Amino acid sequence: MLDSVVIFSFLALALGLILGYAAIRFKVKGDPLIDQIDAILPQTQCGQCNYAGCRPYATAIAKGEAQINQCPPGGQDGVDALAELLDVETLPLNEEHGETKEDHVVYIDEKLCIGCTLCIQACPVDAILGASKVMTTVIAEECTGCDLCIPVCPVDCIYVKNIEPTLNTYVPNLAEVAHG
Amino acid sequence: MADFSYQGGIVIPNPYPVKKVGLVQAPLPDKVVLPLQQRIGEQAQPCVKVGERVLTGQVIAVTDDAFCVPIHASISGTVVAIDQQKVPHKSGLKSSCIIIESDGKDEWIEHQGCGVDFLNCKPSTMVDYIQQSGIVGLGGAGFPTHTKLRRAKECHTLIVNGTECEPGVMCDDALMQNYPKQIIHGIEILLHICGAKRAIIAVEDDKKEAYKTLLECNNNEKISIQKIPYKYTSGAEKLLIKALLGIEIPSGGYAPEVGVVCQNVATVKAIFDAVIDNRPLVSRLVTVTGSAIKEPMNYEVRLGASFEHIVSLSQYKQDTYTVRMGGMMMGIDVDDLSAPICKITNAIFVNQPDKQPVVKECIRCSNCNTVCPVGLLPQQLYWFAKSENIKKAEQYHLSDCIECACCNYVCPSHIPLADYFAFAKALKRQQNTDEFKTNRARDRFEYREYRLERNKKERAEMMAEKKRALKEKMAKDKAQKAKIDAAIKRVGQAKKDKSDAG
Repeated sequence: MLDSVVIFSFLALALGLILGYAAIRFKVKGDPLIDQIDAILPQTQCGQCNYAGCRPYATAIAKGEAQINQCPPGGQDGVDALAELLDVETLPLNEEHGETKEDHVVYIDEKLCIGCTLCIQACPVDAILGASKVMTTVIAEECTGCDLCIPVCPVDCIYVKNIEPTLNTYVPNLAEVAHG
Repeated sequence: MADFSYQGGIVIPNPYPVKKVGLVQAPLPDKVVLPLQQRIGEQAQPCVKVGERVLTGQVIAVTDDAFCVPIHASISGTVVAIDQQKVPHKSGLKSSCIIIESDGKDEWIEHQGCGVDFLNCKPSTMVDYIQQSGIVGLGGAGFPTHTKLRRAKECHTLIVNGTECEPGVMCDDALMQNYPKQIIHGIEILLHICGAKRAIIAVEDDKKEAYKTLLECNNNEKISIQKIPYKYTSGAEKLLIKALLGIEIPSGGYAPEVGVVCQNVATVKAIFDAVIDNRPLVSRLVTVTGSAIKEPMNYEVRLGASFEHIVSLSQYKQDTYTVRMGGMMMGIDVDDLSAPICKITNAIFVNQPDKQPVVKECIRCSNCNTVCPVGLLPQQLYWFAKSENIKKAEQYHLSDCIECACCNYVCPSHIPLADYFAFAKALKRQQNTDEFKTNRARDRFEYREYRLERNKKERAEMMAEKKRALKEKMAKDKAQKAKIDAAIKRVGQAKKDKSDAG
């Protein structure tokens, strides 16, 4: 009787120690779910979901505070991917947050720009280069097409430019391929 | 020793055989259209203006991309426009081009090559010179020659590819028959550049005339000429190396890594022209053949001449025809005959309009698996490409597919398998770019957040510091004031004492 009590107490203590050590040693830093959601989001950082960027939105989804259908740049495909990740029913994209636009960047009409720097402050990815009272320009390669700079411009000199396919980026249409 | 063959591939007899392979100099075109986009890399930047007069061989566009070469004017005349033009590409998209109208004089600009005593030139200088001469692989893929040569460290064998890339194409055959001396000298130049001990010219066994001509011209013991069995896809670099040397280049590997450099005969001739004759690449040999052509012929034509210009030199069997650039297997349909002939245009097929076969379902006959020269499973890859499952397709080595279309040829259901694989590759490239872009946007967003947070903190710290300094100063001032007050008081007291005493 006493033997078994001693043996089991000892076992419980040893296993408890191992578990306790493992919990510290293999502790997962941060929330992996947020990272997974963030990986699906398009990183446009446009804030149309009513959060300050993609990661804040991912955090809100992970906490269950936001719906999965609030991201227009991600489109319906993005919503479906989130639904699959979270194992929930997919939803139609919520139109209140805006509609999915074609891939685009913005550019500044440098003749009209007055150098107010408001767009620089609005850009979530620091893709606008300039300084006070000098000409300002968009680094097209860094631009995510979030359009946040457009409403803040006092002289309306920021325009949208769709990204057209080139010989290097062309992808054939699958339906056309199928017909030989 | 190798048996000069490899697994897979198919023997497709030349559908439009000729008695004698001919070569005709095409007349100078009235106008040339020279695309700025090359096979890989960035677009070249024009260095001439509209209205400027240019000479043949003059550099008209430059680039600092290591994969690209400068673009040369292929005729003398006036630059009439720099704008978007139709180019021969499967997308049918327009691309930036420089258009030159000929003055009919064909005046050449002076170039300084290495000359006949190239042995005194440093190999690296010569590779730079080859790049400056605008030479890319003329077999049909257009891979930049200088890149290949720069990668070739400790090269032991130089392979000169004299196999035709597709059935029906005979421009390399014509080249070997008409310019054997230039080819042999070109090989000597290349041997000097890459330091190889030997060179092998691979010629398919149906090109007896070319084989004989080269054999007669060759008196360099380092150079040997090897016949290999006629089979389609022998022209693919890795397969040719496998056939000749028995060396298999692993997936994702390159020929220079195993000490082999492979160059097409036309490229070798272009190198001779550049180094010895000081002439940059401004023309190439093009085969015009097909079911609508009476007599298939090879033409030496200036780059940038329109398809129309060269197709009109042939006699047709009928008025309606379709035009295809490249071969019957890997070629692309060209619907606009104003499109220019580029460095990769090895052949033009002018065919009678044919009924497209009806595409049926895959019956898993696995014929495609048998013929695939790179040992892939096209039948499996097909499903993954169709369902856009790129990850899975990658596991089945999608990127090793050479798009030779042997699988299309044998498919009883007429499934355009190679087109599916080209689609899957393009999709993969797009996904990679998108992923790169989103990752960069994420990093930049996170860094901005961090920066804003840091600025806020620094500002708060600065304010706190200022406040503290001010307080200290005020406290110090208080002490100072007290001291002054005390001093004034003391002086006042002293004065008072003095007057009291007085």
